[in-house]
Amino acid sequence: MTENSPEIQGILDEYQQKKLSRRQFLKKAGAAGIGATVAAGLLASCGGDEEPAATTAAPATTAAPATTAAPTTTEAMPAGPTKGGTLREGYNRDVSKHDPITTNWYDPAFFAIYEAIVTIDPDGNFVPQYCTDFGVSDDGLEYWFAVEDRQSHSGGTITAADVAEFYRIQKFSFIAGLAAPIGSYRSEGNRVIAEMNNPWVGTYGPLATGYWRIANINTWKDVGQYDDETGLAGEGVVASTYGTEVVDATGPFQHTEWVPGSHSLVTRWDDYPGSNVPYFENKGPAHLDAIRWSVITEAGQRATQLENGDIDTLINPAHQDLARLESNPDLTVYRHPEWSGYFMFMNQENFPELFGDLDTRKGLSHAVEREGMVQALLFGNGAATYGPFPTPDRYYEPAVEELNNYDVDEANRLLDGAGWEMGSDGVRTRNGTRLEFEFMVENESLQVAIGNAAAAQFSVVGAQANVNVVDRAVWFERAGSDQVPAGLFMWLWPISADIIPLFCNSAVIPSPNWSHAREERIDQAIADWQAAGTQEAAQKAQSDLQLAWAELLPNISFINQNATFVKNNRVHGWAPFVWLLYPYYNDTWIES
Amino acid sequence: MTSSTPESYLAEWNQRLLDFEESRHVSLLRRAMRNLVRNRLLLTGTILALLVVGAGLLGPIIIGGDYELINFSNTHATPFTEDALLGTDHLGRDTAIRLFVAIRVSLAVAVGVTGLALVVGLALGTVAGYRGGWSDRSLSGVMDFIWGFPLILVAVLFAGGLGEGLLSVILAVGLVNMAAIARVVRGEVLSLSEREFIEAARAGGLSNGRIIRKHLLPNILAPALVLASYYIAVAIIAEAALSFIGLGAQPPLPSLGQMVAEGRNFLQLNHWETTIPGLTLVLMVLSVSLIGDGLRDVFDPRLRHEAKGVEAT
Repeated sequence: MTENSPEIQGILDEYQQKKLSRRQFLKKAGAAGIGATVAAGLLASCGGDEEPAATTAAPATTAAPATTAAPTTTEAMPAGPTKGGTLREGYNRDVSKHDPITTNWYDPAFFAIYEAIVTIDPDGNFVPQYCTDFGVSDDGLEYWFAVEDRQSHSGGTITAADVAEFYRIQKFSFIAGLAAPIGSYRSEGNRVIAEMNNPWVGTYGPLATGYWRIANINTWKDVGQYDDETGLAGEGVVASTYGTEVVDATGPFQHTEWVPGSHSLVTRWDDYPGSNVPYFENKGPAHLDAIRWSVITEAGQRATQLENGDIDTLINPAHQDLARLESNPDLTVYRHPEWSGYFMFMNQENFPELFGDLDTRKGLSHAVEREGMVQALLFGNGAATYGPFPTPDRYYEPAVEELNNYDVDEANRLLDGAGWEMGSDGVRTRNGTRLEFEFMVENESLQVAIGNAAAAQFSVVGAQANVNVVDRAVWFERAGSDQVPAGLFMWLWPISADIIPLFCNSAVIPSPNWSHAREERIDQAIADWQAAGTQEAAQKAQSDLQLAWAELLPNISFINQNATFVKNNRVHGWAPFVWLLYPYYNDTWIES
Repeated sequence: MTSSTPESYLAEWNQRLLDFEESRHVSLLRRAMRNLVRNRLLLTGTILALLVVGAGLLGPIIIGGDYELINFSNTHATPFTEDALLGTDHLGRDTAIRLFVAIRVSLAVAVGVTGLALVVGLALGTVAGYRGGWSDRSLSGVMDFIWGFPLILVAVLFAGGLGEGLLSVILAVGLVNMAAIARVVRGEVLSLSEREFIEAARAGGLSNGRIIRKHLLPNILAPALVLASYYIAVAIIAEAALSFIGLGAQPPLPSLGQMVAEGRNFLQLNHWETTIPGLTLVLMVLSVSLIGDGLRDVFDPRLRHEAKGVEAT
């Protein structure tokens, strides 16, 4: 190793002591007049990590995710970004329609095609993406976003008025209730204004998700023959090819192919003017020629395809394959808590004889060994959940951990007390009703395993849950039909505080409050959250909600898995972190 | 001849005809039993089948235990470890107990499907072939229509209507197999109907029902049984396939296809979770196929003669 100048040596020392990230190192090195190639060489000589541990660390204002793991594989630093190549990414779900307004889910492609008005940085802070600046009025009743006129993929122009109109139409979406405190949107010059019904600390959260990513509303209306009278129910909108054949937005990649069950493909938009996101290094068009997401729903196949070189990056390999992937020097594994959870709904209204009383629900909850499920089913790659939120959530209430612990004796005591008598066949009865019910589970290997595990544990305390494995579409159709007593559901959403109320709010019976829970405490906590103008009020509302869920058990929470991403070390600038469901692709490039 | 009246003359001939048929069957049975022992295919298939059936029937009684019982602290154990004869699965459930129960499930489905297919197929095929005319045309049309549907599609339709589970599997596979058996039986009956002994029986004034019971059924039973043995294998594979895709046995009730499906996600971790039910499935199908081939050799006179010819040369 040659001798370095004191300034460079200082930067190197800081980097080796993990005080600097790779990006920070490169920036400082650049400021010190060192070329990228030399800097990269220096990094390589001191064993540069692709991404530092800080990438997946929680912001200082929240509890650090307990299971956050730094990328596990070190790699030599290449010379610098090279242009070209197609990133082949494995995706564990089927591809969804690329239309933020009418889609039933948003995929990683939304992070390539679209831009949100704001997004989140690795520290968990909201930063501009589509807008150049944003803020809130002193009374908290107006959120403003400065936007410049932007060219879209089709060559059309998107003005502030178009963005406001997009948001106005978006309010017809089934998901819009998550931002209910936002009353309306309007534009003023080059500003988009969100007018609030009340001050709300949660305003930016939904706006940063896939459903609020900005499409060229003019194209959207043209393709969908939209008219205001019928809203999203209009024939033109229902039959629209927007999101399947036509997509018009402002992200660095353009929609190219969308084949459900197989793949979706996006290609670089060469006229992309660059991003406003401060932490993106690449300020111009993307490095990659294209990105292809392959649908790999077969859990065991995902890791194999990555190892075989059929794909370059992978979202959510099977948990059982993680140890093997982590031991592979050609791969880098990212793990962090996922904003998701598995819970069991119990229809209290249509099956009151089974789930109408709290002690029965509590008895079932105490029969579940959540920690064991985490170890056996997730191979430790997750956490037990005793309340509705995953543990790293900024509003997580740890007091829920005192409730619903695994205790078979307590479970039996509660069920005995509720009047359920153990029958000779091992199934309890009460007033002639057997404690036996259909337990509907979606046909996906992990969900079936969780369903089976829960059912087997219920049987120990005299409850017979008959697992019924059905397709996803059938699951949703039947869960909303009032005919299913119980079912397993997995939710996934980057902001727990927004999504959890959907499953327990009496205003959304029968779906997605499939339990038909009508709990005043819960409804009040939800109302308090949507009226929370300060962080203190938000924290109180969220704590109330979590405790009410854990105590009143509208649903029984089971476990929460970690989000896991893996990449081949030839791929650079692809760095998923805890606050977003997917990585961005602006900085991604493939070593030739 | 001692009969003096035409009625008694006819009755005597009928009796002699029946005696002849009976003696023919007795000799056929004796010959079949002899061939059972001599036929290697049949012997091997029977031994394998006895092993698998024995394991299914006696296994749970001998080793005991609950196929639902989970144990999170002992998952993915390999065979002969941790008190688990054939290891454990991803929930720590004992693979041996689940395997034995799965064999029972397969056998129950196979017997249910084949019983249904054989009884209904024989009845419909015989009626169609013997009565001819519009009965034949309509029944044959229905059978051809059913036979034209892929088995999986029929199973999906049944699962859609009745819900996933073994009942749907039995009805779907039974329906398709029934159509197959009915078509073959109809052809046999059509051929037999032209034979002299049937003509004689008709001339003798025997009722249609009696002719079918006494003369047709005994002659078509052997080929139908050979066919049924083939369709037992089809039923076992179909049940496993449907359970593999989630339409068959519903958890926690194990089936071979479901065990293979659950285990395939852990192939690199513990391949036994897939290999053991997979091999069992192979053995079951192989044994039934060998028995079918053996029975065909025993009952098919053409193959017997060919075999003799080969031996002679």
